[in-house]
Amino acid sequence: MQSRIGFIVNPIAGMGGRVGLKGTDGVLKKAVELGAKPLAPKKAQEMLKEFVSNFSKNEGIKWFTCKGDMGSNELQNAGIKDIEIVYETADKNTSAEDTKKACKRFLDLDVDLILFCGGDGTARDIFEIVDNKIPILGIPSGVKMHSGAFGINTSATAKMLHEFVNKNLTIGDVEIMDLDEDLYRKGEWNIRLFGIAKGIVEPTYIQVGKSFYESVSDDEIKDELTEHIIDEIEQNNDYLYIFGPGGTIDYIARKMNVDNTLLGIDAVYKKKLVGKDINEKKILKLLDKYQNAKVILSPIGAQGFILGRGNLQLSPRVIKRIGVDNIIVISTPSKLVHTPVIRVDAGDKTLDKQFADLEYIMVVTGYRFSRVVKIQTNNF
Amino acid sequence: MKRNPNAFLNEEYGELVKKSLDWKLRILETGSTPHSVVDGKEVIMLCSNNYLNLSNHPRLIQAAIDASKKYGAGSGSVRPIAGTMKLHMEVEKRLAKFKGTESSLIYQTGFAANAGLIPQLAAKGDIIISDELNHGSIIDGVRLTKTDRAIYKHRNMVELEKALNNADKKYNRILIITDGVFSMDGDIAPMDKIVKLGSEYGAMTYVDDAHGEGVIGPDGRGIGAHFGIEGQIDVEMGTFSKAYGVVGGLIAGSQDLVNFAYNKSRTWLLSGSHPPAVAAAQLAAIDVLETEPEHVKNLWNNTNYFKKELKSMGFDTGDSETPITPVIVGESSIAKELSNLLFGEGVFALPIVFPMVARDKARIRTMMNAGLKREDLDFALEKFEKLGKKLDII
Ligand SMILES: Cc1ncc(COP(=O)(O)O)c(C=O)c1O
Repeated sequence: MQSRIGFIVNPIAGMGGRVGLKGTDGVLKKAVELGAKPLAPKKAQEMLKEFVSNFSKNEGIKWFTCKGDMGSNELQNAGIKDIEIVYETADKNTSAEDTKKACKRFLDLDVDLILFCGGDGTARDIFEIVDNKIPILGIPSGVKMHSGAFGINTSATAKMLHEFVNKNLTIGDVEIMDLDEDLYRKGEWNIRLFGIAKGIVEPTYIQVGKSFYESVSDDEIKDELTEHIIDEIEQNNDYLYIFGPGGTIDYIARKMNVDNTLLGIDAVYKKKLVGKDINEKKILKLLDKYQNAKVILSPIGAQGFILGRGNLQLSPRVIKRIGVDNIIVISTPSKLVHTPVIRVDAGDKTLDKQFADLEYIMVVTGYRFSRVVKIQTNNF
Repeated sequence: MKRNPNAFLNEEYGELVKKSLDWKLRILETGSTPHSVVDGKEVIMLCSNNYLNLSNHPRLIQAAIDASKKYGAGSGSVRPIAGTMKLHMEVEKRLAKFKGTESSLIYQTGFAANAGLIPQLAAKGDIIISDELNHGSIIDGVRLTKTDRAIYKHRNMVELEKALNNADKKYNRILIITDGVFSMDGDIAPMDKIVKLGSEYGAMTYVDDAHGEGVIGPDGRGIGAHFGIEGQIDVEMGTFSKAYGVVGGLIAGSQDLVNFAYNKSRTWLLSGSHPPAVAAAQLAAIDVLETEPEHVKNLWNNTNYFKKELKSMGFDTGDSETPITPVIVGESSIAKELSNLLFGEGVFALPIVFPMVARDKARIRTMMNAGLKREDLDFALEKFEKLGKKLDII
């Protein structure tokens, strides 16, 4: 069956980075003055050419896109023919509004996937419109993307698209993350977790016969993880459990009938919510009240951070109080395929060193099932 | 509505057929010989586990005939009731001696050994630490326990140590399980290091040496002998169904292990014992290994030649150190096509595809046989070269 793919390029994505400015929103004019050149169209074309030459022999794809540098130019330059232009910008200087309007069209057209090229801001703009109704896949226009929606580079993205079209990959959670620009203007650098989108992920397989495997849905894995966490909590009845952000932990909380926040930090005691969407101060207060505590974290974003991206509430003071030994990391196996290393940016040198000295951490990937995973910290 | 209790059989089988995931059984019209007739076609056999060609050895065949004549076709019972014959005991004694362990125990199959013993070795509050590529029979054995499980990256001793370190504080017993020779890649577990780590942490070590038994180590004595650590691996598990050329699972280790194992393994206790012919052939296989070193030598000569030639043609044979030589070709579809074309040209070797191996590491798995002649190998190599070029692999 023909795949219907919405394709959009944010031509000005990544322009600030080249000249030392973070993000492009609002700084575009300055970036151009400093000599920034558009990067995304080139990256998009690179990925499409790779896709066409390596994979697309029999992959009848119907492409829906935007006129000009927002999509159709790149597709045509890559030699792709079956294109329908569904959006055209009124102003030649494109903006976030154009991305959003185009995505509304993709929603109406009920495409199977939105392939986009841009940065974390582009991913966020798209997510604001499509939420988790349509899976998205990002071609990275710059070096380091935070959102989990991106392939690691153009060729990996081309391969992912190929596997998706051939139904070898499934749909799962990916985190949308971006720089908190309000804080940034005040001089603080904070990557926040903006939302959980649908992305494409490697399914988890279990061997059923000999050479034949069944893929297990992410929800089944999350059910197993839920059982594991419930066991864990029941065995440590006097512990306070801090629930980190993200789709996996949210799923577990909901299964436990805990009214948890998807993007925030929550606290649970004897399987009951005792703190919702709490900040550092409130967490510390709870830690005063309850003597023993553990924190449950799941890797988030393209780089697999458990601390330092999207959860600054878990400050060095909080983590030191809880103790590195009391961190429980959980992950679906498909997430570990995408980010085989767990990253930590604890925000404090001695704490980062403690993680660096561990070298590896046990990650729970199923019921009473864990695997050894390498840790990387920012400073060591 | 009245339910149809059998409908799922046909439905699920139909699904497998639709996805081409059903097994299309290939029928041997000869014995499992270096030149076999498979589905009416004479082929060079490169996918049998009969590494030493012992299944066709006159001494094994004669021993089976003699034992059948003397003791009958079947054993009449399970081992614990009335199915233990002198012959069974003799095999266990001889095997322990051959492997340099205090004692040994024969199971009906290797699968029965893993599925029967592993669940008894760890309980709630314990942990089993496994290599990520362990065989399915180990995985099934582990599934039957209520223990926690941890996985380390294939043959990665740093990760194993981290898992041990982590487990040390939290669990009662720790059990490390690994394949000895890994059946997809033909590489060998660093058993000397695993044993050392095991003793440092007070962890029990368990190796599934199904593909190492009769193959690695002096005279094919297996992985303990290969590393010079006979008797130091707590549980050496293996099988008579591969290089030994017969059938039957085995464990070798201390007398305590054997006493424990035969009283607790349900697969051993609740399933009939080997027919006399099988036990006698097992015994003869050990005899042959002890007295005719040429079989193991031929196997390795063939292996080294075949591997070297494949490599010089430009094939990627991965990290293989044993007679299992993977020919890594990339995409699954190419591996399947190569296997089909090879069969058409008279070479029988099966493809191994995703998700058994990584997406871009699909392969033809070849298994060497001591009974193949140099001209047989050259014939197979020529076909590999011709088809490898045709499919743009080399
Ligand atoms: C690594 C491994 N373990 C165990 C077994 C099972 O042995 P058996 O055929 O004796 O049941 C096999 C056979 O396929 C194997 O390859």
